[in-house]
Amino acid sequence: MDEEYDAIVLGTGLKECILSGMLSVSGKKVLHVDRNKYYGGESASICPLEELFSKFGAPAPDDSYGRGRDWNVDLIPKFLMANGQLVKLLIHTGVTRYLEFKSVEGSYVYKGGKISKVPVDQKEALASDLMGMFEKRRFRNFLIYVQDFQQEDPKTWKDFDPTTADMQALYDKFGLDKNTQDFTGHALALYRDDDYLKRPALETIKRIKLYSDSLARYGKSPYLYPMYGLGELPQGFARLSAIYGGTYMLDKPIDEIVIGEGGKVVGVRSGNEIAKCKQVYCDPTYVPDRVRKKGRVVRCICLMDHPIANTKDALSTQIIIPQKQVGRNSDIYVSVVSYTHQVAAKGWFIAMVSTTVETENPENEIKPGLELLGPVRQKFTSVSDYYEPTDEGLQSQIFISQSYDATTHFETTCLDVLDIFKRGTGEEFDFSKIKHELGDEEQ
Amino acid sequence: MATIKIPEQKVILCGEYGVGKSSIFRRFTNNTFVTATDRKSTLGLDHYSKTYHVGDRDLKLQLWDTGGMERVASITSSYYKFAEAAVLVFALDNPASFHILSQHLLDIVTYAENAKIFLCGNKSDLLSDVPQITDTEIEAFCEQCHNLITGTYKTSCKTGEGVEEMFNDIASQLVQSNRSRLELQSMEQHGFKITPSEETTEDSCLC
Ligand SMILES: Cc1cc2nc3c(=O)[nH]c(=O)nc-3n(C[C@H](O)[C@H](O)[C@H](O)COP(=O)(O)OP(=O)(O)OC[C@H]3O[C@@H](n4cnc5c(N)ncnc54)[C@H](O)[C@@H]3O)c2cc1C
Ligand SMILES: Nc1nc2c(ncn2[C@@H]2O[C@H](COP(=O)(O)OP(=O)(O)O)[C@@H](O)[C@H]2O)c(=O)[nH]1
Ligand SMILES: [Mg+2]
Repeated sequence: MDEEYDAIVLGTGLKECILSGMLSVSGKKVLHVDRNKYYGGESASICPLEELFSKFGAPAPDDSYGRGRDWNVDLIPKFLMANGQLVKLLIHTGVTRYLEFKSVEGSYVYKGGKISKVPVDQKEALASDLMGMFEKRRFRNFLIYVQDFQQEDPKTWKDFDPTTADMQALYDKFGLDKNTQDFTGHALALYRDDDYLKRPALETIKRIKLYSDSLARYGKSPYLYPMYGLGELPQGFARLSAIYGGTYMLDKPIDEIVIGEGGKVVGVRSGNEIAKCKQVYCDPTYVPDRVRKKGRVVRCICLMDHPIANTKDALSTQIIIPQKQVGRNSDIYVSVVSYTHQVAAKGWFIAMVSTTVETENPENEIKPGLELLGPVRQKFTSVSDYYEPTDEGLQSQIFISQSYDATTHFETTCLDVLDIFKRGTGEEFDFSKIKHELGDEEQ
Repeated sequence: MATIKIPEQKVILCGEYGVGKSSIFRRFTNNTFVTATDRKSTLGLDHYSKTYHVGDRDLKLQLWDTGGMERVASITSSYYKFAEAAVLVFALDNPASFHILSQHLLDIVTYAENAKIFLCGNKSDLLSDVPQITDTEIEAFCEQCHNLITGTYKTSCKTGEGVEEMFNDIASQLVQSNRSRLELQSMEQHGFKITPSEETTEDSCLC
């Protein structure tokens, strides 16, 4: 450890692993450390199942759960948008070759106590029980408008300036009712609250386009999920970093981030060892004094031996409960994955219900989500804080990832990473530095 | 799209730091050898594929190196995923690298359950008159692990001896075991790789 590095990365969560990979590829000498014995931090998928049970202090699982090591349980629910930033990053960095994906089978939205499939094409829109006859026509016109919309071509804006007029005005232009607005904003544009209504419509139009472009790629739903769980993602980027010369250390407690003149970081100390460096990149848990709490999240992992009712027995699905449907300020999310993704033993399903905490009784807040699941064999609930850095890190050269406004996908994750990279190195990441040709078969 | 796809099998290298995994990888990719533990020559190299002819069949071995992760940390579990074969490497002049094999074996059977496992004693050029690790010991080890080991080899990356023979044999072992396995494989269990789209922003309609 007693060496000098350009950058030391602390924590092997997804963001830190992407950063580590990008820094190594850019020719920086990188040391990547985690205090845990395993890769992934909070983004790890827990394996075997016994580990998950003991993590939550529950008695060991019985035989009905099958083999413990057939399970890989995520602690944080996320899906990838098929046409989104993370997929682009995976492709550009070549990390996609370490992974295999499956399409999430369906996306559902909650309305009036029951769930309906988010319509993905004209046929489904017409058959959908989310809207009445006339509303369907209006919704269809709205979708056509969004589809034809080109930012560069104001002719497609049709006498509506989305850079100044807000989203509410666009809904009103098409005469969409509150329910349709609700599922459009929350299940298609994936907003977690209704602030977007008062912001320029352009942002929402782009989000709906992302949704439909993603949908166009693999059908069924716009979401992808990796075989063996989300924990495969940070590992893929860690490997990228390693093959470009990054050094890995696990199970290494960090006792101090050593600060030198002018408040600038000069190294990292573990026990008696000090690794010198010019920069540190880390997640909030390594620098409690440099982050502030932004909110709290409640998540409930549910192990079930059956799919969710009314989802056509989908082996994977997402259900969004828009805030207004249950009188809240933020949406409740339910995600389901199963044995078909190699994350559970044969016949088993893992549902995750989560939301932003708004009251003193977080467990009660996720009830509407839990009620959709049917019988649950085992339930693990946790409430965790999430943080953002107190400064940009330019002075200290300590660049801290943030857990900013959560979305149902990884879009914000990638933006944060690219932004940190730019702050840290003063330049945009140059994807052409990756020697694609070398790793590939076309030799 | 008229080309017939040659089946490709992921083969991973496992074993202690310094036993010669990257050297084997280097022999496999461009048949060279360097004495220094110089990582530059494989920097950015992820895996490499080569076609082998076994009887009337062609098979591509896709060899993966660890990226040096095993030096201080452990290797990511995802390294093992989807592997069809694992080459467990130790150095013939380094008994410690042999005695720790069972740990690496455990990782392989845990994370790459279906992989065929091959044992490779490397640095055979360094063998003195009195071998550090005897053939009896190697046989005993194979027996101990319930004959999980499909083949054992001795190689020298320095002279190149035995390396090509080893991969030829691994290829033929895989072809044999695949005959039966490919038929059993249910397509269903498989995911897909994501690839760059041909930017068909056209028919991306929701309706
Ligand atoms: C099916 C599904 C369900 C989801 N449920 C929720 C949800 O109920 N509420 C929500 O806001 N986001 C939810 N997410 C969004 C997901 O957690 C975000 O992608 C992630 O929080 C974005 O954070 P990040 O990756 O930018 O930050 P990271 O740095 O990766 O995340 C930091 C931590 O904060 C967590 N976090 C921050 N805010 C929330 C939050 N409000 N809820 C849950 N976790 C949060 C992250 O999950 C993570 O643990 C869900 C996603 C999916 C696919
Ligand atoms: N004499 C000799 N040296 C070898 C042989 N194979 C590798 N080495 C040397 O052993 C050292 C470690 O090799 P390396 O391939 O980096 O090992 P790795 O850590 O397992 O990837 C290097 O100095 C190599 O030159 C061999 O067959 N004979
Ligand atoms: Mg090596």
